[in-house]
Amino acid sequence: MTFAGGVHPPDYKELTENCQIRTVGAPKQLAIMLSQHIGAICRPSVNKKDKVSAGQVIGQADAFVSAPIHSPISGTVKDICLCSHPVLGRAEAIIIEPDEGNVSKQICAAQFDSNFNPDKFTAEKIFNAVRDGGIVGMGGAGFPTNVKLKANPNSPIHTVIINGCECEPFITCDYRMMLEWTNQILAGTLLAAKALDARNIYIGIEDNKPQAIEAFEKAIAKMAAANDIKVVAVETKYPQGGERQLIKSILDIDVPAGGIPPMVGVLVQNVATAAAIAEAVVLGNPLTYRVVTVSGSGIKNPGNFYVPIGMAVGELIELAGGLTDEAAKIAKVILGGPMMGFAIADLSIPITKTSGAITVLTEKEIGSIRIKSKETACIRCGRCIEVCPMNLNSTKIAHAVKHNLLDIAEEHKMSACVECGCCSYVCPADIEVAGYIKTGKILAARQKKLMPK
Amino acid sequence: MILADIITLWNSSWPAGVTMLVLGVGFALVLLIASIKLKVEQDERIDKTLAALPNINCGACGFAGCQDYAKMVVADPTLLGKCFPGGVKTKEKIAEILNLQISEDSAPKRPIVHCAGQTEDKTLFAKYDGIPTCTSANALSNVQACKFGCLSFGDCVASCKFGAMKIIDGLATVDYEKCTGCTACVKACPRGIIEMVPFAYDKMMTVACRSVESGKDTKAFCKVGCIGCKLCTKQSEAFVVNNNLAKLDYAKYQPSEAFETAMNKCPTKVIVYRGKKI
Repeated sequence: MTFAGGVHPPDYKELTENCQIRTVGAPKQLAIMLSQHIGAICRPSVNKKDKVSAGQVIGQADAFVSAPIHSPISGTVKDICLCSHPVLGRAEAIIIEPDEGNVSKQICAAQFDSNFNPDKFTAEKIFNAVRDGGIVGMGGAGFPTNVKLKANPNSPIHTVIINGCECEPFITCDYRMMLEWTNQILAGTLLAAKALDARNIYIGIEDNKPQAIEAFEKAIAKMAAANDIKVVAVETKYPQGGERQLIKSILDIDVPAGGIPPMVGVLVQNVATAAAIAEAVVLGNPLTYRVVTVSGSGIKNPGNFYVPIGMAVGELIELAGGLTDEAAKIAKVILGGPMMGFAIADLSIPITKTSGAITVLTEKEIGSIRIKSKETACIRCGRCIEVCPMNLNSTKIAHAVKHNLLDIAEEHKMSACVECGCCSYVCPADIEVAGYIKTGKILAARQKKLMPK
Repeated sequence: MILADIITLWNSSWPAGVTMLVLGVGFALVLLIASIKLKVEQDERIDKTLAALPNINCGACGFAGCQDYAKMVVADPTLLGKCFPGGVKTKEKIAEILNLQISEDSAPKRPIVHCAGQTEDKTLFAKYDGIPTCTSANALSNVQACKFGCLSFGDCVASCKFGAMKIIDGLATVDYEKCTGCTACVKACPRGIIEMVPFAYDKMMTVACRSVESGKDTKAFCKVGCIGCKLCTKQSEAFVVNNNLAKLDYAKYQPSEAFETAMNKCPTKVIVYRGKKI
């Protein structure tokens, strides 16, 4: 069982899939964004020149859909100012200068073993720990996890799916975590299921990662509390890791367009989020570090790094050996993977809670870098429609947006697009179909005055 | 011979002709009765108002077109003066049709692009090769260093129905001779740097910048950005510096020496004139 559409891009995972997760030394400076997640922007709770300790709350979340932000290290608040943000352009950030002799946080996967029992924790305790730990979805969207874990009597969650697909090319951070932090992820999974009183638990992993599937099967057999968890090998296909696609593949349920998985009684969590939940609930550690894959042919020593949130992309690239000579001349730096990531122009952009990878592409991978768009006319081949996992008429929407006909785009369900980029990937005319649809969504939101200018 | 043919034709086809005639008259009568019985009363002022409007359907008034606006303005006289392209003349004409008194005229509003950065002034971090519209480029971070500056892909040019917007040297420029003040460009700009300003004079002074970055960053990103040095505030109270950005209160502006001095003293030359005959 699988979803309709999808593509098979070359995955380039061999670059980093055997690189163990490495810890890094103290950073030179951290820029911690006040907007790292979907929902209300945090309010800074520290002032300039304040001393902060590791794990201290520096950004307060006042709204329900929001998550507090913590300092990863002890140090001094240097400034609260505008900083380059991967999505918003320029946004407020807290700049922290680490103290001398700062030791970086260690990976705590070793503290979870197969004796773990979720019954020690009540649903309320789990919810509070997740809220106070500032945990957000770490797969990319960044939706505050506590909102997802709040049991809603009107639509009870019966199934929890842990998303270990990682279908995006180049990225291997989730894969390494699944191999190295298996027990921690299982603990987080059980806690999430416990908070929602969900009976069925699945872990969905693409069938090109047999080692991860094996690791989970072994760990589940050992852990008494986790015996009911089912590991499902799903077809290797992009975008298998999209939550709607994964639900379709595992449960054969369609999430209604415009709806969210809880409407069909399903919760989908990324493996990194599950690991963070376990850490926050059991050890009380807030989310301040995350695993980031630095990969691409433009990087000298690609690898997976356990880095503090707020570290500059440039600094992280230096840790991975820096750019190759070829990439130093001309390269495309992408925050995220090549399919859904954002190209960034400023290497001072910090890592946020949602950035799982930095991909540096050189001419070898992206063909000759285009100086002028070489978009040609649509030849009506319909390939974008064939590959669309949401069964949309992508080309129709893209052309409607191009000619500023937003009502027609909306008629063809523009807002149901998940922005996976399959249509742009297959387009033989080089039309940036997904780009036009994204633009259309912004224009529609602006028309409805949902978005500030 | 010809006459004989015509007579033959007449003899053979007159019943058809008469039938058509009877049918025609019959239907005409039906339509005549219907038009009298089912007549929809329409205010004749609507047609007159519509004739007085420019009929370009630009939508600046906020209604679907001139016809829609004519209907609404007849029903609700407070909407008078919403037609920007028509300006004062149209307003007077409509007021005459509707028997309204018009209050003292305020200055007509025209857009000002609050950016002075031309291609050579701007700092670019990278080359953008995506979809060439401002909205698309703005969705991607740091296409150009200044987040508040004109992106120069011309969304405003595409939106202008009067050909009054042009991108000159990487900066959106308004041709005030052609501009009617319809506000389409204000709505099109994703960065919101175009603002409607009451033009009390043919040319207005303005602080052509919207950057609230610190002075140091503004200077690093653009040669002609406002760095918030407050020199202008010493010349006139009309200038207020807030959040590293000077703003001119347009209501207080009048051509005078103090404003000229402020303009000349501005270290980044970001205080400029905008308007006709620069």
